[in-house]
Amino acid sequence: MSTTLQPYLKAVRQTLTAAICLENFSSQVVERHNKPEVEVRTSKELLLTPVTISRNEKEKVLIEGSINSLRISIAIKQADEIEKILCHKFMRFMMMRAENFIVLRRKPVEGYDISFLITNFHTEQMYKHKVVDFIIHFMEEIDKEMSEMKLAVNSRARISAEEFLKRF
Amino acid sequence: MILLEINNRIIEDSLTLKFNNAAAGNKPEAIDVTIADFDGVLYHLSNPGGDKTKVQVSISLKFYKDLQEHGADQLIKREYGSFLTTPESGYNVSIAFDLDHLPANRDEVIKKAGLLKRNCFASVFEKYFEFQQREENSQKRAVIHYREDETMYVEAKKDRVTVIFSTVFKDDDDIVIGKVFMQEFKEGRRQFQQAPQVLFSHKEPPMELQNTNAKVGDNIGYITFVLFPRHTSPAARDNTINLIHTLRDYLHYHIKCSKAYIHSRMRAKTSDFLKVLNRARPEPKNVEKKTFSGKTFKMN
Repeated sequence: MSTTLQPYLKAVRQTLTAAICLENFSSQVVERHNKPEVEVRTSKELLLTPVTISRNEKEKVLIEGSINSLRISIAIKQADEIEKILCHKFMRFMMMRAENFIVLRRKPVEGYDISFLITNFHTEQMYKHKVVDFIIHFMEEIDKEMSEMKLAVNSRARISAEEFLKRF
Repeated sequence: MILLEINNRIIEDSLTLKFNNAAAGNKPEAIDVTIADFDGVLYHLSNPGGDKTKVQVSISLKFYKDLQEHGADQLIKREYGSFLTTPESGYNVSIAFDLDHLPANRDEVIKKAGLLKRNCFASVFEKYFEFQQREENSQKRAVIHYREDETMYVEAKKDRVTVIFSTVFKDDDDIVIGKVFMQEFKEGRRQFQQAPQVLFSHKEPPMELQNTNAKVGDNIGYITFVLFPRHTSPAARDNTINLIHTLRDYLHYHIKCSKAYIHSRMRAKTSDFLKVLNRARPEPKNVEKKTFSGKTFKMN
């Protein structure tokens, strides 16, 4: 399974690099307003075709671009009950701190676990290639973290059961 | 610490202090401490009637009536005999110590005082272990409502004693983590042949409780322990009681520890991510410029 990881991440990286070409664009609908067009979606000509990159049914990335903003949604692999709750807890934890994270969206898009929103203002303040690096790093680390936490819960269960039962 | 202690440290420490004080011949001081323990149990350490030379330890259990049905009073009398006094108002059992006439075996007495709660529970188990040892079937099932929504059922048969705990998981995530723990308990027998058989049933009561009005619900779990003669024999009895009566607290303690650990990991990982993200910001360039006449100014 891990043989598909590198091509998957490479595809995501290249799509992101292409989509992250953003420029400032004031709202066409409301005077003096500047909104991320990918969120507002009022003018169809400003939106690019959304691209979904799937590793398998459960793991995929949706990249929606527009002229001044980019939305990336990630669906994380959750094989069983405990992974589901761990993922849910972790994503909720981070989304509550979305302000600190700048590029994180407070609510994930329907059908995905976490979403990022990058606007032209972010790309003006940060290096574009480093932002892409961050997203890819995030995707790699999440899977690692999930499996480590699951392992921790399982080993704690095993040790506490062992300690208890061996005293009988 | 993986296993929970069955004795109450606070009681032991306070009594040790008082006894040592009295033994050294110092003037006794007043004491008035209310302590809480697992399962809504309250202890009260005080000086009865304001007399500083006497120390009274009282325990209050909400479910003492259930325990009395199964001979708790006799067992307490057996264990604490000479120290028993009339129960303080609002409490179920009181034992008193005279600091002027300290008992010879001080440490042993202190240890026994720390085990007050355990001894209250012990009576139910001992009664049903006796049934099993005599190879009788117990006619009635013991029902102890030891917590708000949680009950313990004990039943004895010729060759085994079944103890069933009903437990409530307040949080949905607790259910999942609880299931992982119970899975490991169930498989414990593979490694330790001497361990009792453990069964877990989620939402519905197990077969033994089919026709009782035992609670049903999404967040309710039933843990069944099947104790065999080797666990209920007089030699192993005390050990078994020590381990079994705090099982529910043990499980929930470890579930909470897991959640706390997960939380601290998430915190660490999140700050990690933030560090990586901050690498994306270019460093602010500080350029100092000088004019011809010597004035310097900084540019950001």
